[in-house]
Amino acid sequence: MSTDNEDDFEPIQVFPEGDADLRPGADSCYKCSTCDSSCPVAEVDDEFPGPKFQGPEQWRLTRKGDQEIDDSIMKCSNCMRCDGACPSDVPLSQMHNTARAKYVEESMSKLSVEYWRNRLLANYGTMARFGSMFPRLTNAVMGNSLVQTINDRFLGITSEREFPAFATETFREWWADRGGAAVESEDRRVAYFHGDYANYNTPEVGKAMVRVFEHFGYEVAVPEQRCSGTPMFANGMLDDARRAARFNVETFADLVDDGYDIVCSCTSCSMALRQEYPELFDFDDTERVSAHTYDAVEYLRIHEDLDGALAAVDDVDAPDFAYHAPCHARNQGLDGQTTAVLSNLGDVETQDVGESCSGISGTYGWKSENYETSMAIGEEMFEHMADAEPETGLTECPTCAMQMEHGSDYPVKHTLQVIEAALTDRSLPV
Amino acid sequence: MIATEVLVVGGGLAGSVAALSAAREGAQVTLVSKAESTLKQASGLVDVLGRVDGELVADPFDAIQGLPDDHPYSVVGVDALHGGLALFDDVTGDRYRGGDRNALVPTTQGTVKPTLRYPGSVAPGIAGDGRETLLVGISTDPDFDAKRAAESLDATVPGDVRGVTVRFPRLRDDAKRTRHAKLLTESEEFRAKLVEKIAPRVDGADRVGFPAVFGEDPAFVRDELEARFDAAGAPVSVFEVPTGPPSIPGSRLRDLLRNELEDAGVELVTGVPVVDFEAEPGDTDAGDAADDADRVASVVVDRNGARVPYAPEQVVLATGGLVGEGIDSERDRVYEPIFDLHVPHPDDRYDWSAEGAFGDHAFARFGVRIDAEGRPLGENEAVAYENLRAAGAVVGGADTAMQKAASGVSLATGWRAGTRAAAESGVNNA
Amino acid sequence: MATTTEVLVIGGGSTGTGIARDLAMRGVDVTLVEQGNLTHGTTGRMHGLLHSGGRYAVADQASATECIEENRVLRDIAGHCVEMTGGLFVKRPEDTDEYFEEKLQGCRECGIPAEVLSAEEAREVEPYLAKDIDRAIEVPDGAVDPFRLVVANAVSAEDHGARIETHAEVVDLLTDGDEVTGVRVKHDSGPGKREHGLPGETEEIHAEHVVNATGAWSGQLGEMAGVDVEVRPSKGVMVVMNVRQVDTVVNRCKPKGDADIVVPHETTAILGTTDEEVDDPEDYPEEGWEVDHMIDELSKLVPILSDARTIRSFWGVRPLYEPPDTGTTDPTDITRDFFLLDHADRDGVDGLTTVVGGKFTTYRLMAEKVTDHVCDHLGVRASCVTADEPLPGSENLDRLDSAMDDYGLRSPVARRSKQRLGSYAPDVLGTDEPNPVLCECEAVTRAEVQHAIGQAGTDLNAVRLRTRASMGNCQGGFCCHRLANELHPEYDAETAESSLDELWQERWKGHRHALWGEQLSQAMLNHTLHATTWNRDGDDADVDWDAFATPTRTATDGGSHDRD
Repeated sequence: MSTDNEDDFEPIQVFPEGDADLRPGADSCYKCSTCDSSCPVAEVDDEFPGPKFQGPEQWRLTRKGDQEIDDSIMKCSNCMRCDGACPSDVPLSQMHNTARAKYVEESMSKLSVEYWRNRLLANYGTMARFGSMFPRLTNAVMGNSLVQTINDRFLGITSEREFPAFATETFREWWADRGGAAVESEDRRVAYFHGDYANYNTPEVGKAMVRVFEHFGYEVAVPEQRCSGTPMFANGMLDDARRAARFNVETFADLVDDGYDIVCSCTSCSMALRQEYPELFDFDDTERVSAHTYDAVEYLRIHEDLDGALAAVDDVDAPDFAYHAPCHARNQGLDGQTTAVLSNLGDVETQDVGESCSGISGTYGWKSENYETSMAIGEEMFEHMADAEPETGLTECPTCAMQMEHGSDYPVKHTLQVIEAALTDRSLPV
Repeated sequence: MIATEVLVVGGGLAGSVAALSAAREGAQVTLVSKAESTLKQASGLVDVLGRVDGELVADPFDAIQGLPDDHPYSVVGVDALHGGLALFDDVTGDRYRGGDRNALVPTTQGTVKPTLRYPGSVAPGIAGDGRETLLVGISTDPDFDAKRAAESLDATVPGDVRGVTVRFPRLRDDAKRTRHAKLLTESEEFRAKLVEKIAPRVDGADRVGFPAVFGEDPAFVRDELEARFDAAGAPVSVFEVPTGPPSIPGSRLRDLLRNELEDAGVELVTGVPVVDFEAEPGDTDAGDAADDADRVASVVVDRNGARVPYAPEQVVLATGGLVGEGIDSERDRVYEPIFDLHVPHPDDRYDWSAEGAFGDHAFARFGVRIDAEGRPLGENEAVAYENLRAAGAVVGGADTAMQKAASGVSLATGWRAGTRAAAESGVNNA
Repeated sequence: MATTTEVLVIGGGSTGTGIARDLAMRGVDVTLVEQGNLTHGTTGRMHGLLHSGGRYAVADQASATECIEENRVLRDIAGHCVEMTGGLFVKRPEDTDEYFEEKLQGCRECGIPAEVLSAEEAREVEPYLAKDIDRAIEVPDGAVDPFRLVVANAVSAEDHGARIETHAEVVDLLTDGDEVTGVRVKHDSGPGKREHGLPGETEEIHAEHVVNATGAWSGQLGEMAGVDVEVRPSKGVMVVMNVRQVDTVVNRCKPKGDADIVVPHETTAILGTTDEEVDDPEDYPEEGWEVDHMIDELSKLVPILSDARTIRSFWGVRPLYEPPDTGTTDPTDITRDFFLLDHADRDGVDGLTTVVGGKFTTYRLMAEKVTDHVCDHLGVRASCVTADEPLPGSENLDRLDSAMDDYGLRSPVARRSKQRLGSYAPDVLGTDEPNPVLCECEAVTRAEVQHAIGQAGTDLNAVRLRTRASMGNCQGGFCCHRLANELHPEYDAETAESSLDELWQERWKGHRHALWGEQLSQAMLNHTLHATTWNRDGDDADVDWDAFATPTRTATDGGSHDRD
């Protein structure tokens, strides 16, 4: 295919940071409304006018100097389904992210509780870092119903949900304790972007990722890293996101230079590195990092005979699963991956519970004002989970997992944990 | 590389039919689509052939006989259409109706349109039997002015047609159609208030038509509404009038096909485009000219920046026409963007369209040309790649929009491409 | 049928409506007739530049001075029609320094505020300017909506007692010896037109004085009176982009030439233009190379234009005039000044004055001069107040700006609607009825469309021009039918349908010039929606119902009612 070697004109170089002009993105819109009919929020909340309005229409109507962004932008959950819906490559989520950042910057009071609540949620990693210093204490406090009521009333963080427990040993602590990589290789190298959640809350996912890759002979690197930025984009905290992204891009670009590809276990993290970074930032190595980033399972499918390896396994100590494909997996074309890969395991059945959104969308469902909408969106998934035979959930996204547990009481696992159980003869932790 | 037997590119009607027919023949199928199905923009009616040379067609199978030799129907043969229709009927079961002759379905513009298959929820509204009809418009929905449509229909169809406009309770003016659908499905109160407003206006009508917003389970909504009309002393049949985008019946058909694809074990890879491919020389010993053609050895999917290679045995191209961007254009050329297949078109772009809005537009016929097996042909009429087939709107040669034939051509070419691809892939050879 | 009036003005463009307003405000009884819709001619076919005068500052300083003066007047009296975008004269490396300096000097001599910007400063103002530009001069150019301005003039004229008749073509001049005493007009009426009397009905309108303000058609009108008016119609192409790539008027800083201006206009940017003499103002070729030339040439100033989406193109004909025996061959050399032809002095024909040439920006001044002249004839002594009295829609705009009422609309919809409606906004948008957006591209609500239908009747093109509905990227594919719906039930379904067809064909005409890339895909989607989903492409009045499948009640009714 042809490659474009021309000196591409990049207007972003002359726009002040975070002030990109996305009006030309409206050129791709045909008004076909496929984005609207794919939006899980517009279906349950008519205060949200849908992605077509929020994206190409609002941008096209903009003149220089126009200040206000319609406040309904804060109702977008950043599930990014509209991106996958659009037949014409309108940069919908980029438009939403940019509009949201503009709204937060220009129209939201920096003294409001909402702003600080959003900032707190968006910077989950900071909160988690302190929380996991004394995990048992923090878990006890956050699980306290009085604390939850206070959070709800004064911060607008719903008391309907239980805070995810912090692990007694973080993934990075485990990694340091074991002395880092157990396999060395010159030509098979991956750098693991674990994100905050696998580090502080579900280190077993990180461990599974490491063990599976080591099983295939990969040298794994676990560099210093910050939050991928996903919750910050979703809350319009683009400055916070930019700081985190800059650090991540610089760190991982060095590893790419050393022959590493980047793998993620969280589909929102891989989404951020692959799509949102290039759309929102222009650090020197943004594009290069993006082009070398993969979902962990996807990476193995490309480079190893994962299907064959799994098909050769006789006996797996794992239950059947009700699988939910996260929206951010769907947007990367990974929606069919887990069921296709696990179909190689003869005695494990993986049932897809349908394509509806789980409704939590990261921090969205944690806000008191969104809780009901979040559960209304998730209702279809809950119903399908209940209809499915298996009573163990499976997904790649940590917040989807929260929502699945919240709505069904099923334990929820990660695809990598099942692969780990199959390939390394470990039983799946319950 | 990710291996697969049949790779279908494009998830609209043609791609779905191709994937399903291949999977039903036993092939392992992966379906890659870059965007949501354009079915979400379509009315949900399945036209086969409704207008030829300006005249309405009552018997499409008879009229097909008179089509020119280069019409896609003539190329792939009527048996392919029968095959596609049989598959469609099997998949949709009693959710779709229709026989061997076209029915005339009232539209929101007050016209009637010939179609061969229509949703069960549309069936009671078919024009021609002389029953008295009341059309209901929603005051916030500017697309369907029930009174205007009724006045136009009343002038042409047997039986009286009247219109009434009501306000949907407690919704913002810009609530999406999906919101209406959700409420009609889930809110008893909403349905009750609606019928309360309409029942006094029924005034002896036999049937009441709503814009098509009956949600995922139209039979349920119809039952509920009809029971309420009964209780209000105004017994009627309730039906849907199909709309333009965003189309609920179109979404329903898309969901139906998607569930069927999942059940058939097709791996779905959504939201990501195919951007590149590699060819290799074909089997030159085959002795058959078509088999001498090159083969598609691999195709590359762009997953949000990362290039993911697939190695398929057979490929079906069902990327759509100008709308789905399976065919693209610049000021001086029209082209097929993935394989650069030959797309016949006039040199001067002013010859691409006609002077009148409903003139004889060359652009409406843009697309690749195929042989009887569904294989795209080069400018020299030779098969382009021996393991590549094309289906749906990417195939040109006829203005299927004016002919009301687009769905039928998708069924016929999709079925042909899918069954042939399966026959030539590993399973059946083995 | 026959009527009388003091002054009859022919031509519903900026000049004609400006004259009608001025006469009416001076207490003269005036009737204006226009063959099509308001702005049917040149006024409706311009790029919408409100000149600072900068473009004429070297070659024609008298015009330049008039422009900057009228520019200031229009900002005051027509705030809701004007957007003060500012303008840049951008110098590329291949353009001469001498001309740049001349331009700067000329601006200053004419009282046009002008500042020199470095390339970086210019790109800070307009980030999409080419990286390799040298420098720029910043001037107070602006954008103006000509249609809104003309409608405001017409409404003001009517408010002062004038009669405005659109779709009234002059078929003959009434004469008495060497004196023009009136006109005979044919009223066009029916769907897609203004509803008025009977279609084809003629009317004799007797007047003490007739003003020919027909622009490019002046020569044809002059012939009816037996006088020569040497208009030299010159066509120019305008290419409409889907979005505003620039928010400032961008001019190329070179002596003259085609394709040297980009005007941000409402939601779009308009590329202009060419200057080529044509024989007939109604019939001339519209050619693809002209469109290509705009894009290719202006991409040198704003590179993203080369890949940007254009949604249509249109051509306008300038009513250039030069006195007999000037002998200019290149139309770009013909003066942009205007001429008042007193046919009594000039040709011995009484009762007729022709006004030709001139520029949109100075329409008010031209109207003032013509009105002075006519009032002299009539012995009317009232003086001109059009420079001070705000036009309808532009009254008290400051007060409106500070009122933040969004009328229950999403903020960008409210913002655009208020900008278009000006001081009408509270009356029009403050409705209790459902007010959905009908045209999503341009953010036009039902209330605004209904307001326009109140003025324009079934002429949906006039509704379009008043509201901008159907002028966005889908070119009406998703809203023309909604506009037609709004005609019902005041007008019957057949009328609504005809008006829809007329608008749809008009949209298609300009759309055809943009059919490649995204806009061709849009055209295909529109085609599919209108032909397939709505089956609007055929006339199916006589259906053989027996030939089609007709459901029996039980066989095809999927609902429970009949099963019960």
